[in-house]
Amino acid sequence: MEYLIHLAILFAIYAILGVSLNLVVGYTGLLSVTHAAFYGIGAYATAILLTKTGTGFFASIIVGMIVAIAVSFFIGIVLSKFKGDYYALGTVGFNTIIFAIFLNLQSLTKGPLGIPGISKPKLFGINFADNFNFLILVLVFLGFIYFASCFVANSSFCRVLKAIREDEEAIQVFGYNTLYFKLAIFVISAAIAAVAGSFFASYITFVDPSSFRLMESVFILAIIILGGLANLRGSILGALCLILLPEILRFVGFSVDIAAQMRQVVYGVILILLMLYRPQGLIGEYKL
Amino acid sequence: MDILPQLIINSIIAGAIYTLIALGFNLIYGATKFFNLAHGVVVAIGGYSFFYFAKTLGLNIYVAVIIGVLLVGFVGYGLNKLVYLPLRKRKASNMVLLVASLGAFTALQAIIAILFTSQFKTLSHGVGIQRIFEFFCGVITQTQIIIILTAILVMVGLVLLLYKTHLGKAVRAISDDEEMARIVGINTNKVIGYTFFIGSAIAGLAGILVGFDTGIEPTMGLSLLLKGVIASIVGGIGNIYGGVLGAFLLGFVENFGIWKISGEWKDVIAFALLIVFLIFRPKGIMNK
Repeated sequence: MEYLIHLAILFAIYAILGVSLNLVVGYTGLLSVTHAAFYGIGAYATAILLTKTGTGFFASIIVGMIVAIAVSFFIGIVLSKFKGDYYALGTVGFNTIIFAIFLNLQSLTKGPLGIPGISKPKLFGINFADNFNFLILVLVFLGFIYFASCFVANSSFCRVLKAIREDEEAIQVFGYNTLYFKLAIFVISAAIAAVAGSFFASYITFVDPSSFRLMESVFILAIIILGGLANLRGSILGALCLILLPEILRFVGFSVDIAAQMRQVVYGVILILLMLYRPQGLIGEYKL
Repeated sequence: MDILPQLIINSIIAGAIYTLIALGFNLIYGATKFFNLAHGVVVAIGGYSFFYFAKTLGLNIYVAVIIGVLLVGFVGYGLNKLVYLPLRKRKASNMVLLVASLGAFTALQAIIAILFTSQFKTLSHGVGIQRIFEFFCGVITQTQIIIILTAILVMVGLVLLLYKTHLGKAVRAISDDEEMARIVGINTNKVIGYTFFIGSAIAGLAGILVGFDTGIEPTMGLSLLLKGVIASIVGGIGNIYGGVLGAFLLGFVENFGIWKISGEWKDVIAFALLIVFLIFRPKGIMNK
């Protein structure tokens, strides 16, 4: 049972990441591979605030979001100059830079040693150190984020985003300043990713830079491409598949190290096969 | 200060390694116009196949180098045949090809780790046995001299191939306009297959040389690939001379950058260079 709850918590965290990344990649058509950076910013915000200053967990979520918004605002402005695969390459660059900051800014992040001993949240006398309670908390946040994202996805704002995806120049002719729209959705998505990061830090009670490498961004991208671009239910489905699938490998009887690598093989092969046979993913509405 | 000659030597060595990666990457990009991220894992396959043939099977070093390079060439050729060619026939967008190559990268890197474990291995026979030369108060090892010579040789060979042979003419024709090349009777898919073979073989050679200089690990490909990509873009993507120029510029900027700030920030410096170029001169130095 504990094991199932553990999987469910991981699923919920990745579903939050998937839903938020889908807003950028699926609806706006910007291939971003830097999501793990914002995820990491949220995780480190929670880790540092909870271990060093004794701020509450929920306050640390807000701080993480604010930092992610500030950073993504700056990154978004730089990225707005690029298009297509150059955009993707630029995001790879920012993921690498922010990973290097986690790794090397030792006074704040303790570098490769990581930050242990992050406490679990408490609210109204409910102790979330119990994994089941924690799961409920994450699911409540996931539900809230999912419905907020659905609201965004059905708004007139999002119709402009889809227009940008289909033909940016055409929508510019209609007088929309596409820079603001792209920047806005990028910042929103980064802020949501930071929330997922806060939950991750609090659940694992330990953060180190290796959780936020480029490969993590690729994994989140694989989730939304598998589930389907421009479909929020797809992202949740994708997270479910990619969290559960590797667990089957565990029962096949590989050793821990090999199972971890087999997981990477599976993700890689899934990406190739999807591109070859079903580029819109399981229930997607948009092809890359 | 006698750190200056050493910095210059280090910059040239780094430039030579990046040259080898950028040459192959640029060749493939010129013919296919997409970012082949699997080029990075091909470098690692080169290092590991040499390791297998020379250390595990105990073959002669030169034989092992030749078999290793050929094997890597076939891996590149096979990737094109199995993944990229079907996608290109279906007129898939660059982003689809990019994601597919990312999938190939992830899967192959993990397969290497399964076969050879993820431990760091060195290819040379032992530390400290290498002959060391002194050069204006700077130090350079025998391997590093071989790296520089190989880079020059490969560059000259590639230029001769491109400008003096029929195959080279066909490659340049495809780089200019694939549609047109097909109309005048060039079997474009076959020629693109050859460029994958040659480009990957060069990358494999780079992997072996890096293995002799520092060592091999399954994750070595990513940072080398990114440096090669940065060099190509900075110099002018798809342009052979541009790639070489960019590689040496990157080598110098990186090594002189860490003169003042510590060495862990190398990747950040490299990506900062890329982003500056993408903003102010996106076509690179050589391309108009």
